[in-house]
Order: sequence, then structure tokens, then C-alpha cells
Amino acid sequence: MRGLHVYVLLVAAAVALATAGHLNAYWLHVSIIAMYYGILAASWSLLAGYVGLFSLCHTAFASIGGYTSALLVKWLNIPVLLGMGAGVLMCCALGGAIGWVCLRMSGPYLAIFTLAFSEIVRITISTEDDVTAGMAGLHTAPLFQSATRLPYFYAAFALLAVSLLLMGLLVRSRWGLFLRAIREDEQAAGASGVAVARFRILAFAIASGFAGLAGGFYAHYIGIMTPGVGDLDEMAKLVVMTVIGGMERLPTAVGGAFVVEVLLEVLRGFGQWRLPLFGILLLLTMRFARNGLLTPLWLQFVRLGGTRVPPLSAARDLPQKDSVA
Amino acid sequence: MSWDYLFVQAANGAVIGVIYALIAVGVTLIFSILKIVNFAHGDLYMLGGYCAYYVIEYLGFPPLIAMVVAMGALFLGAIVLERLMLTPLYSDATERKDEYGLIVTFGLAYFLRNSAVIAFGPFPLKPPSFIPGVQRLGNLVVTNDRLVAAGVGIVLIAALLYFMKRTMWGQALDAVSQSRDSAAIVGINARRFNSFAFGIGAALAAAAGALVAPIFSLAPDMGVLPNIHAYVIVILGGMGSVTGSIMAGILLGESENLFTAFFPDPTRAFAYTNAFGVLVLMVVLVFRPQGLFGRRHLRME
Repeated sequence: MRGLHVYVLLVAAAVALATAGHLNAYWLHVSIIAMYYGILAASWSLLAGYVGLFSLCHTAFASIGGYTSALLVKWLNIPVLLGMGAGVLMCCALGGAIGWVCLRMSGPYLAIFTLAFSEIVRITISTEDDVTAGMAGLHTAPLFQSATRLPYFYAAFALLAVSLLLMGLLVRSRWGLFLRAIREDEQAAGASGVAVARFRILAFAIASGFAGLAGGFYAHYIGIMTPGVGDLDEMAKLVVMTVIGGMERLPTAVGGAFVVEVLLEVLRGFGQWRLPLFGILLLLTMRFARNGLLTPLWLQFVRLGGTRVPPLSAARDLPQKDSVA
Repeated sequence: MSWDYLFVQAANGAVIGVIYALIAVGVTLIFSILKIVNFAHGDLYMLGGYCAYYVIEYLGFPPLIAMVVAMGALFLGAIVLERLMLTPLYSDATERKDEYGLIVTFGLAYFLRNSAVIAFGPFPLKPPSFIPGVQRLGNLVVTNDRLVAAGVGIVLIAALLYFMKRTMWGQALDAVSQSRDSAAIVGINARRFNSFAFGIGAALAAAAGALVAPIFSLAPDMGVLPNIHAYVIVILGGMGSVTGSIMAGILLGESENLFTAFFPDPTRAFAYTNAFGVLVLMVVLVFRPQGLFGRRHLRME
């Protein structure tokens, strides 16, 4: 049956939505946080996995989105949804600016540049405490006036679904092909007529916008924003999730976020050992299964529907270009 | 603001600059040979500090000997890590080596930092001083530990420069950094020098960690900021340039401490000192990616 995997996913989503009411508050919270990371992981994989821009300021954008929304709601008394929208726009603009500034950088230079940017964001937020409340944390208006977490679950689910749908449409479109071409070989892509600069900026703006969306939701769900939302540890956690799942596809990235977040909770008995454990898992993944641990499962799953899986890169079997500097 | 305060800041800046340079030289060396930016360098520095601490505490060695032991331990440990994790970098079957190097060293940093919290505990530790006491020069007061740190740091950097310029192995390293293939043609085993360069970089980071331990304290996340500083220096000095890193290290140490002294709002000066460093990094990356003293052929494409 063609497209079987799509129906399976839809049924699974319907079951998740229908049974969410039976989850206890703790697991509801874990699912909501997992979906927050899911949006971040998907948008980071769009940037790092599809376009090859290894940015380390993705959680910094989540933090910018959250703070923008929380502060606007606090100062102007606008509705929370409007604040979140403003956060997304802010992140799109800033992300596009960062994308523009580092157009000529690649690989480690881009990583260092974005790392520097994320440090500046973190330092500024924690130091300007008369505006952001610094390390003490900024109290934010709640998204829903609700005693339970259920509305937040549905909201997170909707946000994740819409984000995945939009990003999925993007990567399947002609533009998505351009983005992957840039990752394979920027010069060849440019020579074939891809407007490399425009698409790099676009990718940065879009991915940062989704990070801002996730951050805005997080701010108004948790009720408090701290500089820690955007720090290096969070970024490392995001890299761990995305790479373990498989950074080259959106569904595997989201799956990685779900699996790692849920495992972090299940393995609570191991206490502090969990974090180095996931560090080792990341290293083993990179060493022995660079496409991610969930990628083979996902491909099997897609084949259920009889869909031919398009290869991610046509250039995979070509000889590597001479790497002598 | 008094002149005395400025002098104290300048003296501190010089000491910190030497330590920064020691860390950054390792990053540069690893970059020029392995062509990767080591995101775990700050964590090797942290491990070096702890290693020296435990050698002093449990084996009762004097601090400077402990530093040498830590350097040796990190040299060997780093070679093992390099053999285990970084060998795919040299295989032509590996695509996107940049990305592999980035994620692996980033993951290594995550692993080492979180393991350190378990192994050493989250609370700061402080090893004994090298030489207790202070030196006075007029109103200028500098602790002996800072003088020892700067002195030993300068000796180590001088030794590295001598090694790089005047010995067979150093010349071979330089040759590999300029062209792997040409080096192979004249009979240099480039693979061996990959391990060697990674080990030396780690040993220098370990020395830096052991030297600052009595001045600041040891903590599992102590490597994060020096790591970023090392990038600032390496970018400022030009990726792959050892002498550039040394000059940029001292330049950064000085300018940061003077920045703190001149910043109008003293309660925020310290926090923004770090932001100042990374801002310099971003500006240099945008306007002069080869760095202030960069050698062009070492830029990674």
C-alpha cells in the first residue's frame, strides 16, 4: 500500500492526542519538553544537516525568542501569542543577520563565530539584570489560564506538527534541493546557478525563526526564563540529540530528541552518569554510524509504504576532491 | 583610577596572557596538523589541572613535578583519544571531515566535562601554592604563584619554539602542516605526527591547567572560558601560526585586563570582559579571517 507510513504516523499522532489526557502530570511535562527539543532539533538539522552550516547558537536563538516574547508581554501587555510572534520575527531577523555576516565562513570558522555570538547573548542576558532579571530568572506570563498541562501538550503538539510540515515542505521543494546542493559543494552549487548567499541567509533566518518559536513557547510554558536556556550545555544537549537520532533528516532528528529526552527521564536512577553516557553514545554514533542510530529504522519504516527512498546526496559515491590545503 | 591599579592590571594581564598563549598554541598546533579545531581543548586543560592536583595530594610530589607528570599523562591520554576517535579524519572514505572533527571534539568536550563532575565533584578544589607569598615592587604587588605561572609558561613556549624551529621532529611537524603529501614524499610518517601533535597540544593545555590551579581554583567547567579565549587568540593570531598565537595571547590578556580597568560600570566590568574577547573574535573573523599575523597557506578551505 502506497504511503502506508504516512497513515501509520497519522494514526500514531491521533492515538497520542487521544490518550494524552490519561498521562500523569510528570509524563505530560516530559512529553512537552521533548516536543520543545523536537522543534529545536528539526530546525537545527535543517541548518546543520541539510545546508551544512554547523551553527552553535541555535539554543541562543531559543533564548532570544523566549526573552523577546516575555519582555514584550511584560512591558506592553500584548497577548502572549503576539509576543511569541514578535519573538519569531526577532529571531528571523537576527538569524538572517548572522547568516549574512558569516556568509564567507565555513566549517570550524562558522562554528567558532556562532559559539562567540551565543556567548555574547548569554553574557548580556545574565549581566543586564535590571532588564532581564539575570540569573534570578524572569517570570513570564502563562500561555493558558489552566490548572493542568493538557492544553500545553496540545499546543506543543500543534507547534511541532506545523513546524515539521513547513520544514518538510521546504526540504522537499526545489529550494530544499538547492540547500542540499550547498552542503555538498558550495562552489559547484553556485556554478550551477544556485544563489548560494541568498539561500544560506534564508536557511539561517528560517531555522532561527523556528528556534525562536520553540523558545517563546518554552518561556510561556515554564513560567520563568533564565540565561541557561541558551547556554553551551543546552547546545551540547541539542547536538547530542540530533546527531544520535540522525542529523540529515527531519524525522530522525525529532526522533533523537524524543528518545534522548525520554531516556534521560527513564534513567534518572543513574543520576549524573546519564550525561557522560550520552556523550559516549554520541561519540560511538559518530565513529560507527554517522548517519544516526534512528536513520536505518526510519528508512525501513518508510519502505513499508513502498516509497522509494531518495538518496540524500547524489555525490556520495563520487571520489572526494583533493583535500591537500 | 590610580596608576597603581593600572600597573596591577597590566601585570595580571601579562600573566593571564602567557597562560592563554599556552592553551592557544596547542589549539593552533592541532589545527595546523590535523586540520580540525579541537573543541575539547579546554577540557584537556581542566583534566591537566585535576591530574596535577591529585598527584600532589596523593603522591606528595612538589607542584612543579606534578605539573610535569600531568603533562606526561595528558600527552599519552590524548594520543589514545586521537587513535580511538580521530583516525577517520585521515581516511579518504570519510566525507565532510570538518563536520566529523567538529562533532567528535564537541562530543568529547561534553563527555569529559560531565564525567569530571562525577569524578572530581562539582565543588572547586585548590592545590597548594608553588611558592607561597608575594613580591612587592613599590606599590605593585604580585603573588609568587602568578610569577611562577608566567615564568614556567614562558619557558614552555620557548621550548616549543626551539623544538619547532631547531629540531628534526619540529621541522617535520612544520612540513606536515604545510603539505601532507609533500611531507610523505620526503619520508615523513604523517600519521605518527598527527598523534604527536595532538599529544603535545594536550600536554601544553595540561601545563596551563596545572599552572593556574593555585591562582584560580579547579572546577569541572573551568575549561569553558579559556577554551573560548584560545579561539579568540588563535583567530587573532592566525589559524596555524604559533608565533601569532603567542603575540595574540599576550595582547588579549593585556587588553582584557585593561578593559576591566577602564570599563565605566565596575559591577559589570568583569562580566563584559569575556564578552569583549568574543566580540574581538567576531570582528576579526568578519574582517580579517586570516588573523593579524596569519600565514595564508594554513587557512583551511
